[in-house]
Amino acid sequence: MEPAEVEFLAEKELVTIVPNFSLDRIHLIGGDLGPFNPGLPVEVPVWLAINLKQRQKCRLIPPDWMDVGKLEEIRDRERKEDTFTPMPSPYYMELTKLLLNYASDNIPKADEIRTLVKDTWDTRVAKLRLSADSFVRQQEVHAKLDNLTLMEINTTGTFLTQALDHMYKLRTNLQPGQSTQSQDF
Amino acid sequence: MSQAYFPVGPGLGMEENFLSLDDILMSQEKLPGRAESALPRLALGQGGTGSAESVPEGSKLEIPLWLAKGLHDSKRRIISVELPKIYKEAWRTVFSADANVVDLHKMGPYYYGFGSQLLNFDNPENPEIAQILSSVLPVSNSLYRLQTFINRFRRIMDSSQNAYNEDTSALVARLDELERALFQVGQKGLNDFQCWEKGQASQITASSLVQNYGKRKFAEVDG
Repeated sequence: MEPAEVEFLAEKELVTIVPNFSLDRIHLIGGDLGPFNPGLPVEVPVWLAINLKQRQKCRLIPPDWMDVGKLEEIRDRERKEDTFTPMPSPYYMELTKLLLNYASDNIPKADEIRTLVKDTWDTRVAKLRLSADSFVRQQEVHAKLDNLTLMEINTTGTFLTQALDHMYKLRTNLQPGQSTQSQDF
Repeated sequence: MSQAYFPVGPGLGMEENFLSLDDILMSQEKLPGRAESALPRLALGQGGTGSAESVPEGSKLEIPLWLAKGLHDSKRRIISVELPKIYKEAWRTVFSADANVVDLHKMGPYYYGFGSQLLNFDNPENPEIAQILSSVLPVSNSLYRLQTFINRFRRIMDSSQNAYNEDTSALVARLDELERALFQVGQKGLNDFQCWEKGQASQITASSLVQNYGKRKFAEVDG
């Protein structure tokens, strides 16, 4: 799976926009949207919000968690705890990137938010690497990773599963050998 | 292009994958052995002079793994196979001390695959070999081989994911083929993510096939 595909999934998340046009309720396959009235906030998927923003038809309201104070708290908690802490959104990385790239003029302190999210990401990836190492070292066969997001899983996923696959084969190598031996005896 | 190409991967078990190119190359590697009986008319293959000469019993041979596997039989003693020295105890001690310092590419380059295949020669028919191999190979050797892999895992992961921005060429040169494939997978994951982060993933570029096609056409026009 490519990061662009993960982003595709992230674009289904809902954000609030303030449109500057009026439009009746529209009926889409995934659900109904609208009605759109100038100046009234309405929830739409990210892909539509970005499209409307690019056409200068709306103003974007950042999600609650996209706030310097809250992100600092999240980053500090992430650094303090050994396991992964719950993230404000399952697509925090993707939403940060999309919203900051296309609507940074609607988000206060965009640069600080970018840095904070990047710090959180780096902390989590370093933690992921550390736990993968101890997982391999102790030769575990299962693990629980509740609070990892799809993007994080996706960057190391193929590598980790392939390494574990090799390890499994190297470990079970000798079992068929033993069974044939016992048959010969 | 690489997405639409599905090469057969190495088997890495007791049996290799029949159509895996990596496994075919791996089974070409030489294995020290000894002829347990005379092999008539085969001296030419071993550097003899006449085609009618036979390989005398007990002579030392260097045979590829595929041939050794074919000739090795628990009922008929045609050849006996010895462990290559990198799988013997002296080297295994080195591996367990610090697996990261070993140049597996020079040792291998199919260290894991070849070592797994060596388990096939665990032969209960010959009590001496069986004793040596079963005490050396199936238990401790695969344990050591696994340990090698585990100990090297962190280095491969860190450098493939570019965690320290270090120059990885020195490390890659010392990796076994299996580890190299793993290294590339790790790097691809990180590179893809960074491309996406920079916004390059959303740009449409000409495929490398088309680009090369254009270049070739120009070259033909020039010539």
